[in-house]
Amino acid sequence: MVRITVALVCLLSLPTPSVSTAFAQASTVSSQARPLQEFKKRIDAYRALHNKAVDQVGPLDPTKSPKQIADREQALGEAIRALRAGAKQGDVIAPQTGAILRTIIHNEYAHRGQLALRNRQDAQDELPDFTPAVNQVYPTAHPLATFPPLVLRQLPPLPKPLEYRFVQRSLILRDSEANLIVDVLPDAVPATSALPSGKPASK
Amino acid sequence: MTRLKRFTAAVALAWCAVGVLAQNLQLPLKANSVRFLVIGDTGTGDAGQYETAAQIIKWRQKFPFTFAIMLGDNMYGAERPQDFVNKFERPYKPLLDDKVEFNAALGNHDDQNQIFYKPFNYGGKRYRTFKKGDVRFFALDSNYLDPEQLQWLEKELQSSGSDWKIAYFHHPLYSSAFHGPTIEVRNALEPLFQKYYVDVVFAGHEHLYERIYPQKGIYYFVEGGSAKLRENDIRKSAEIATGFDTDRSFMLVEISGDEMFFQTISRTGQTVDSGIVPRRKVRTDLQPGRAASPALRP
Repeated sequence: MVRITVALVCLLSLPTPSVSTAFAQASTVSSQARPLQEFKKRIDAYRALHNKAVDQVGPLDPTKSPKQIADREQALGEAIRALRAGAKQGDVIAPQTGAILRTIIHNEYAHRGQLALRNRQDAQDELPDFTPAVNQVYPTAHPLATFPPLVLRQLPPLPKPLEYRFVQRSLILRDSEANLIVDVLPDAVPATSALPSGKPASK
Repeated sequence: MTRLKRFTAAVALAWCAVGVLAQNLQLPLKANSVRFLVIGDTGTGDAGQYETAAQIIKWRQKFPFTFAIMLGDNMYGAERPQDFVNKFERPYKPLLDDKVEFNAALGNHDDQNQIFYKPFNYGGKRYRTFKKGDVRFFALDSNYLDPEQLQWLEKELQSSGSDWKIAYFHHPLYSSAFHGPTIEVRNALEPLFQKYYVDVVFAGHEHLYERIYPQKGIYYFVEGGSAKLRENDIRKSAEIATGFDTDRSFMLVEISGDEMFFQTISRTGQTVDSGIVPRRKVRTDLQPGRAASPALRP
């Protein structure tokens, strides 16, 4: 009897937020599973399309000829664009997936310190002022912003040659072999005014 | 001769001696040593790149290095076929003709398809490792440190045994200059460098030269001024041992046994820094989190 009472007291003394947080997390995990599975399916479909385009233009081995590299990049881009002629924003990053990715990125930014945030802004400052669009060639004469490794660790992994990049506040999916923007998620990065200030350097 | 004239003559002589010494090779040219060139942020195709390249070619007669490492931004702006000629093949033609092997890392200005350009020796990969003598190099892509690359790095470092370990990539983990340290890249890489006893790290991105005091036992150099230059950009920092930001520069490096000798030279041929770095495994003064006393000469 005493044991039961002690157990009950212990149970009741458990901080309720932990229990509700655990439930919330479990429900978040299950609500995220389907959109992320769908994302993977769409990524796989894009990869199949990329491979089809590679079959059309041929593979590229290391070469001494920069012309061959440039010509092949252009040809691959054109082949992919032709295969995805009607592609539009959200075709790969569906709205539900986009919401999850946005949350991951916003949460991650909220935990970074001033120095890391300054690095991230600094990388963006070097970019050209352009609005990324689906099937657009990434401006070839401009740099790519270094992608924060800590954000990369939290996002769903991508197969080669796909990669994530930030262009100002948008997250883009980029085909690095074709130098092509595959999809765009606007407002993925929190506005500067929404970022924490006065935090110590991130560790 | 008056006392003043004698003094003036002595000062002039001393000045000449300093000048001659500054233009002398300070590397030992030991038998069977590993000799290489370090350049960063080179791909401008402008006079600064060509003049620095001419100086490199001149110094190669004194110090016959067999390969070069490039710290990224190998190509600024457009990457049309003619840009590869103007920003790489032409300025370094005598070196390429002489079979000097260039080993590039990707910078934020580089198109990733550069990995297919044979003279950069990427072998079609964004990151890779290669060995010269008993020195193991790790050429990394600091623009996109995905978990896959970090896992690969850990595996390669783990199996690299007792070789000298030199990592190079574009973004500096320590710097006082314009961009400052790339803190997230540092947080991702430094624990691995520390755990597996990386000896030396070279990076670019900042358009100047900096030598950093050893951090957690690792020697860091920034050499991003081999064509681009951001003048007077070195800021006051307790981490910076020395630097050079008034002209372009490059580094000559020689590794023999447990010592790495280096000499940093300006576009005009003046030595701006030199010294010796001991191999990490033979240093006895290292404790985790404590900097080694620099075994460097000015």
